[in-house]
Amino acid sequence: MSHPAVLPPELQVPSLVVLALFLAWVVRLIRSHRLSVRDSLLWLLTTALALVGTAFPSLLVGAAELVGVQVPANAVFGVGLLYLALNVLSVTLLASQSADRVRRLAQECALLRAELDAVRARLPPTPGPTPPPAPPRGP
Amino acid sequence: MRVLAILPAFNEARSLPGVLAALRLAAPEVDPCVVDDGSTDGTAAVAAGLGATVLRIPVNLGIGGAVQAGYLHAREHGYEVAVQIDADGQHDPASLPGLLAPLRDGGADLVVGSRFLLDGGFRSTPLRRAGIRYLALCLRLRCGARVTDPTSGLRAAGRAAIQLFARRYPSDYPEPEAIALARRAGLRVVEVPVRMAERAHGRSSITWARSLYYLIKVSLALLLLPARERPVRPTR
Repeated sequence: MSHPAVLPPELQVPSLVVLALFLAWVVRLIRSHRLSVRDSLLWLLTTALALVGTAFPSLLVGAAELVGVQVPANAVFGVGLLYLALNVLSVTLLASQSADRVRRLAQECALLRAELDAVRARLPPTPGPTPPPAPPRGP
Repeated sequence: MRVLAILPAFNEARSLPGVLAALRLAAPEVDPCVVDDGSTDGTAAVAAGLGATVLRIPVNLGIGGAVQAGYLHAREHGYEVAVQIDADGQHDPASLPGLLAPLRDGGADLVVGSRFLLDGGFRSTPLRRAGIRYLALCLRLRCGARVTDPTSGLRAAGRAAIQLFARRYPSDYPEPEAIALARRAGLRVVEVPVRMAERAHGRSSITWARSLYYLIKVSLALLLLPARERPVRPTR
């Protein structure tokens, strides 16, 4: 090993533990149906990559050399930032999509209620605000 | 010609009776449709009591979502023309015949009522007028729309514009963007002079700080406009 250790073990081990716990948390959220697999894919993928990078720092050093970054730590920061930016963008994307859907659904609700009003107005007047359906009578 | 009047209303129970009465007087053949955008002051009940069709949106979507609900209603019920009128009393329903005329003789797909083609009436503050002129310039440069009052919410849409807006309508501060959309879809946009009044009750939803956001948002929206909107033609 010509390189000095990029990650001293006293840093590497806690990092691995934190990342593994994070991964386990995401998995738990999926299994308890609080997070859909589709929405979590990016988190799973990026966290797994971060785990690999932490477990084998030499990979990072190699990658840093490949793209010509002098200080491997800078490569780590760069990748980390990209990781966060990607995940936040994906969340914003989902929020936009959800807002569009909420809008469409709310409009549909409004149209349906107006339709219901129109139908009700055509029915013969009934006493009481909400007439219960006539219970079927036996012979 | 079957005409629907879309009146987007958020807590306008106080001004609605006057607006609806004026509308009935000026254009009795027009069907009023009040879009209650999640009001808390009984706007929907007031509108229904006055015989208007009411679209009750369960949450507050903002003006864009509310207006689009009106266009969806117009499309669903086969209206040939949909007119947007503010429910706060700013727009005089007496200008409706002038607004409908270009649609009636087939010379336009979207008619915008401009307060700057006539002298008199409410013309807003100088600062806002400068903003409006800037937006008009943006619209002209970006999509060749020649309008003097791009923020005007008094407008009439023919069949093709109803189809377009039912499918796609911008969300907040939608007026200038909607003109751009129409132009991009190959629709003919014309302006007619109208007179506007200062709102009778309440405050405008556009404060000073929001004006800046308005300008930036609309500029960005116009800049990032899709290169081509899929053209829509009326389906008969």
